[in-house]
Amino acid sequence: MSITQDLKPLFYPDSVALIGASANPAKVGNRILKVLKKTVTNLYPVHPLEKEVLGISVVNRIEDLPDNISLAVVTISARRAVEAVRSCAVKGIKVVVIVSGGFSEVGGEGSLLEKELIEIHKKYGTRMLGPNSLGIFLPETGLDTIFVEHGDKALSGGGGIAFITQSGSVGTEALGLASNTGYGMRAFVGLGNKVDLTETHFLEYFARDSKTNCLAFYSESIEDGKLFLEKAKEASRKKAVVILKAGRTEAGQSAVSSHTGKLAGSDNVVNGAFRQYGIQRAYDEEEICDASKALSMLNIPGGNRVAVISAAGGYGVMCTDYIEQKETRIKLHLAKFTQNTTNKLNEINLPFASTKNPVDITASADDEIYVNSLDTVLRDPGVDIVICLTFFTIPAVTKKLVGKISAKAKEFDKPVITFAQYGPYTAKYLKEFYDLGVVGFSSVYRTVRAARFLVERAEIVKSFGEDNEH
Amino acid sequence: MNINTWLKNLNIPGKPDEWEVKELFHSYNINTPINYLVKPGADFTNISLKSPYVVKVCNPEILHKTDVGGVKLNITSNLNTVIRNMQGLFPGSSILVEEMVPYTGIEFIIGALADPDFGPALMVGAGGILTELYKDVKFRLAPLEKREAVRMLKELTVADILQGYRGSNMDIYTLADLIVSVGNLVNDLGANFNQLDINPVVFSEGKWIALDGMSILNL
Repeated sequence: MSITQDLKPLFYPDSVALIGASANPAKVGNRILKVLKKTVTNLYPVHPLEKEVLGISVVNRIEDLPDNISLAVVTISARRAVEAVRSCAVKGIKVVVIVSGGFSEVGGEGSLLEKELIEIHKKYGTRMLGPNSLGIFLPETGLDTIFVEHGDKALSGGGGIAFITQSGSVGTEALGLASNTGYGMRAFVGLGNKVDLTETHFLEYFARDSKTNCLAFYSESIEDGKLFLEKAKEASRKKAVVILKAGRTEAGQSAVSSHTGKLAGSDNVVNGAFRQYGIQRAYDEEEICDASKALSMLNIPGGNRVAVISAAGGYGVMCTDYIEQKETRIKLHLAKFTQNTTNKLNEINLPFASTKNPVDITASADDEIYVNSLDTVLRDPGVDIVICLTFFTIPAVTKKLVGKISAKAKEFDKPVITFAQYGPYTAKYLKEFYDLGVVGFSSVYRTVRAARFLVERAEIVKSFGEDNEH
Repeated sequence: MNINTWLKNLNIPGKPDEWEVKELFHSYNINTPINYLVKPGADFTNISLKSPYVVKVCNPEILHKTDVGGVKLNITSNLNTVIRNMQGLFPGSSILVEEMVPYTGIEFIIGALADPDFGPALMVGAGGILTELYKDVKFRLAPLEKREAVRMLKELTVADILQGYRGSNMDIYTLADLIVSVGNLVNDLGANFNQLDINPVVFSEGKWIALDGMSILNL
């Protein structure tokens, strides 16, 4: 069976059993039941003693569940979880999400219990996510097994990013924050301890999923490293793959006596391997959210020439510095405008504006000057990306600027990235941009960094083209 | 030479010396200086190499030869005396005699190591004795294609020297070929492979030459 078929009961279950459906609101099982209740029709809470929880009648034993249940979510303590998983496997349940902790992450007896799960998987072929997994969240259907708050309202609009994370909290905290300014998620998957399903399975699944356009991973260890890379390269031919790889494992050589061994660390090897296999690397939780957001929402630029529009000179200069900053990974250049563009900018702008790149439309600018300047630089054939720094504090600019810039950006294939920084309203404006399909960030640095990810993606796509020439 | 034969015939099992590493290089079309091995107690009065010479101690236990006086460069006369002195300094060790290779331009390093997660990984960068000071190195996994080797080289800070910088004639494409060969070599060593340094690699009369070679295998 293909991985797409194997994981169908996980993402699109016809029926769900919740093992550990407690009536106690402080319990994980109770919280998950509350959430599942909203979207799952055929829901079977399982608990040995309860008769009814949250108005749903309870099944006391897994053996008594109806046949052909697609998905079971197991929330009870480790030792009992193993027995529950075994019963689910015997019952023929296709996929089990094991939310329970207390396995290899605590060592000792937990590691032994985890080995039992592996044995059950091998014997029955039941697909398992976890243990110690936060489970999954699919905005498309609302299917949600996550027991912590995760900005679900803000994220429920959905989008193209499949976010696959080894650590549950990195996923929920980072995405919760990202959701403040808009983050379009196709799916969230918490891998946990990976007794069966690993990042490679989900890489394969979402690479083939037509509703996913960007894959984002948080990984501490990558199982089957080389296989994962091969699959990532395949995926990367069609969609961006970004990885936040944390945890620097030591090279493990008995004695690192070579220059190569001393210079490697594991991190340099990871860097090289990622480049070789078309993977883009992020270094912290903010960066992976920013990168995946930009890669998911914006077109691939034709080159690395950036135009900057700003109503504040200082921010324009700062932006220029970031653009021209030597970055070994990917180079950006400040675009040189054609005479035609310069003439047009002079025509549109106030006499004291600076119409060279970065364009300083000045604090006397209004909505029209902003939008017309944006239009003009977007038409310049020497411009591949536009960074538009917006300021809502200046007198002649209105709240309508968000809508106007977004509408203008939509007219062109070239990526437009905005910046907004307006005290407590920062997130509000950025979210408005997002809702209108425009990517924006709250610092100049992050805005330029997003542009770099786009250019890096363009180079990866180009390198695949070169490979195909042979 | 077949890699298994090479492994089986090592003087000290699992610990190849420089001569043996260079023999393996020859099987992968990796150029080295023309060389001659003086085994302990063997006659060496008939060495027919061209002057000037390089004389090195050849013992896998001595990894940093220069630090212990185990390398003599640019020898134009009294070769036999130099060899004898080296033998006196390192009793029981083989001595490697090579024709000294003339070269200009900077030195490179090509290395490899077995990464626990990803398998054999290759490194290339600015080489010589300051390698670890510059840290101008890039990595890729082995084996790899020539195109990828070229991309790797272009990422180096010193990349321009391979593309005509200030009249440099160092050739990026033949260096990429060499990287590909090293990638095949370490990949073929499979589970036996642990670490490899080829340092320096120099450009001499239109060819890339591995002046030194050191490899650590898993015992």
